[in-house]
Amino acid sequence: MSFEKVLTRYQDIPGYTGTLDAYEAQGGYQALRKALKEMQPAEIIEAVKRSGLRGRGGAGFPCGVKWGFIPKDSPKPVYLVVNGDESEPGTFKDRMLIEEEPHQILEGIVLASYAIGCHQAFLYCRGEFVRGARMLRRALDEAYAKGYIGRRILGSGFDLEVVLHRGAGAYICGEETGLLESLEGKRGQPRPKPPFPAISGLYRCPTVVNNVETLSNIPHILLRGPEWYAGIGPAKSTGPRLFSVSGHVERPGNYELPMSVTLRQLIFEHAGGIRGGRRLKAVIPGGSSSPVLTEQHLDVGMDFDSLAAAGSMGGSGAVIVMDDTTCMVRVGEIVSRFYHHESCGQCTQCREGTAWLHKTLRRIEHGQGREADLDLLLDMCDNMKGKTICVLSDAAAMPIESYLEHFRDEFERHVRERACPFGEGSGD
Amino acid sequence: MPTLMINGVEIVTPGPMSILEAARGAGIEIPHYCYHPGLSVVGQCRMCQVEVEKMPKLATACNTAAAEGMVVSTNSSRVEKARRAVLEFYLLNHPLDCAVCDRGGECPLQDYTLKYGPGESRSVEPKVQRAKHKVLGPHVVFDAERCILCTRCVRFCHEVPKTGELGVFSRGERSEINLFPGKLLDNAYSGNVIDLCPVGALTSRQYRFQSRPWDLVRQIESVCPLCSNGCNVVLDVRNRQQRDELLRIRPRENPAVNRWWMCDEGRFGFGYLYAAERLRVAYGREEGGQVPVAVDELTGRVADTVRRIVQAHGEGAIGCVVSSRHTNEELFLVRRFFLDILRTPHLDYRVRPVQSEETDASEDGILRRTDKTPNSRGARDLAILPGQDGLDVKGMIAAAQAGRLKALFVFEEDLVRELPDLPVREALSRLDLLVTSSLVPNETTALAHVVLPALATAEKDGSLTNFQGRIQKIRRALAPPGACRSLAEILQDVARRLGWDLGDIEPERVWAAIGEQSGPYRGIGWKEWRAIGPQGLLPEELRAASREPRPERHES
Repeated sequence: MSFEKVLTRYQDIPGYTGTLDAYEAQGGYQALRKALKEMQPAEIIEAVKRSGLRGRGGAGFPCGVKWGFIPKDSPKPVYLVVNGDESEPGTFKDRMLIEEEPHQILEGIVLASYAIGCHQAFLYCRGEFVRGARMLRRALDEAYAKGYIGRRILGSGFDLEVVLHRGAGAYICGEETGLLESLEGKRGQPRPKPPFPAISGLYRCPTVVNNVETLSNIPHILLRGPEWYAGIGPAKSTGPRLFSVSGHVERPGNYELPMSVTLRQLIFEHAGGIRGGRRLKAVIPGGSSSPVLTEQHLDVGMDFDSLAAAGSMGGSGAVIVMDDTTCMVRVGEIVSRFYHHESCGQCTQCREGTAWLHKTLRRIEHGQGREADLDLLLDMCDNMKGKTICVLSDAAAMPIESYLEHFRDEFERHVRERACPFGEGSGD
Repeated sequence: MPTLMINGVEIVTPGPMSILEAARGAGIEIPHYCYHPGLSVVGQCRMCQVEVEKMPKLATACNTAAAEGMVVSTNSSRVEKARRAVLEFYLLNHPLDCAVCDRGGECPLQDYTLKYGPGESRSVEPKVQRAKHKVLGPHVVFDAERCILCTRCVRFCHEVPKTGELGVFSRGERSEINLFPGKLLDNAYSGNVIDLCPVGALTSRQYRFQSRPWDLVRQIESVCPLCSNGCNVVLDVRNRQQRDELLRIRPRENPAVNRWWMCDEGRFGFGYLYAAERLRVAYGREEGGQVPVAVDELTGRVADTVRRIVQAHGEGAIGCVVSSRHTNEELFLVRRFFLDILRTPHLDYRVRPVQSEETDASEDGILRRTDKTPNSRGARDLAILPGQDGLDVKGMIAAAQAGRLKALFVFEEDLVRELPDLPVREALSRLDLLVTSSLVPNETTALAHVVLPALATAEKDGSLTNFQGRIQKIRRALAPPGACRSLAEILQDVARRLGWDLGDIEPERVWAAIGEQSGPYRGIGWKEWRAIGPQGLLPEELRAASREPRPERHES
């Protein structure tokens, strides 16, 4: 299928540098000019609602609806917080947008701020993105100099300050309320919801938290119209999506496609199929928190609802492909090790459960598993789901449940044979 | 005033509150760790999860508002499974220290595990090892392995003394509570974290390895005597080697006085009860100096001398300074002895400026107050003050120095030390009779003809009135050492030898007389005193209650 790229249009421009001049040359900041001159904030919110844009951070919540939750007459300041803390294993699309097309994000930030009445926005960039933070800083300086950010933007009455803040290395600071706590200078520990950030967010003020890719869509929606945008992809998962494809494929990388693409098409037509002509065994379709899919699911559409119906989720759009050299128990050990490392530690089930899950899987992978461990793992997962302040606990549990569901025989072999049947270094 | 159902019981809440608070108010237990009524709500431990109709997930009762029409279950099978799982998660790394842990026997982790937890471990993983018996400050020792990260201690230090010495460091399984660099846990309220800690992670250095809770023979409700706040306490007594020993003092909850807390001085500072210098026998002055004399002999000498002085110089040659460390009952009897029966007008309790200038105030904005005696308010309410033309404390010193005052009774005040600007030593040396009582010998007792060993607050029954005017009962937890006798008994003894009678001196019975006098305690007879509960009584409350119409009970 040929698809006219939107967010990564710049990749077709040889020698593109992502500077403000380069961005403007391909039509950048036209949406901002148009919106500030011709549109009221409420109209912009309506347009984004009509576009059907759903959050690209992992939750897939309708963006315009979220903006609409901001109280119209609050005496408190309204904040926009940009989530650039991309940390979901397998995901590397926000990094690309930050490093290669930062002005698209900034234009989205100004438009979103104008729409919700925010005059101070915070851009939280993952601490490890050293180059990315540099690119954002350069872009911000350029935008301020040109008058796209600051006082009386483009001669309008709209003021906006954008603060760039770098994280300090925690996945949990990508959770929206964990991010807010971190931004406020505290430990990145998520808050109970309700209250939701739209009511009580940054400094307990009304706040919208949006992902970097989500905001990158806004200029295009406003310039070319929400109807055009809604025409891309399925009706309930509109617009282009960036899929980060990694693993045992010939051509790993970021692919911008409508969500009508199927998993089969994504892997075999776009990413070149399984490396070395081997056989596909398993696919994680939406980041490590998403339940695994197998060959039988290859024709699922990569939209939020189809993936949910197939027993998984759209998540962050990170597609990790595994061939038949892969030991699924080892995958479980690696995935659970991540959550063990990243749990913030507030909730008992997550703090202790992510550790227990990992230690058990590690033991099984190294041939010291017991019969009882398999059902124990399932019970652990059940006890970890739906009972904590944030969903990291669920994110740790659901994948393991899915590996046991689809590959239980592999686990049982590990226990019976007291060794990993795939040997050391399987799947590398 | 939402009405909700919890476990089929209808509960009408008096105002906005969480499900947990509504349940507590109705006597329904919802197990919890991180929640504490005196601290911010964090909803972290996940123990208090309950099932709420129409909510798909379990809700934490501590931070879910009780809403009109809510139907809550705290014991459905879903809740039971979730709760059992939380305990299982806690026990994964919790060390099996019960045999050597001070918390054993009074431990919410043990208690909830027995009631709600798994009976056996399913884990074969080695437990995480951490620092043990780490001294955090003068009073508290920490065991990081036992800690369940409820963060009550961290929140307490931030929110009550506002010293913030403790924090959580690292994250996830590696989370650990510790002191911030360069800090010690040495705020004036550090001991409260021992009560707050649901497990044996934070324990008392003073009480370490001293007892098991079931070995405590007596847990007496009383009041701390070290300042005018009157924090409500429990005195934990153990019998060891045929002797009763006070091992530990803990605060009792009283929303009006000390909420849930007490200061470290009151909590840990009871060593004075066992000080080696503590007077155990009475002393009388004889040729060679002060020698032990039987109390009966001394009361005889006192009575004789008093008779002689009254005959030669009149009642006005006798005065009395009585400390506001005494109970209301003792103060009343002192007043009756000196003002009513002996008929001298020279009586006073106001030794310190904070008492004479009535400047008692909060010392730290929390609990401690500047008046370091517990019953100045009681002394004022009972008019332990000079009678007509009577002398106050300073006046009595001056009169003693001038030779006009011949006898002075000084009960539990070291005037030499308290009044350094006055010629106290000189004045007291001129007296024909100086009768003192004290817990320990001091520069005032050194000058006395009679030194009586006093009872400490923990060794008597009675009541004290705190700075708010609240009458609070103290109860005897310990036998006094040696020949210490109550002031009431000694005064009655002297009175009888003089042909008088103080009447009933039992603390309860004294209130029959107090209630009949005019003043703030009018109307509080011994029946009313007996009805005073563990939270004390403000006289206004009693008068208001007697004015309110009583609810009627209609038997059908």
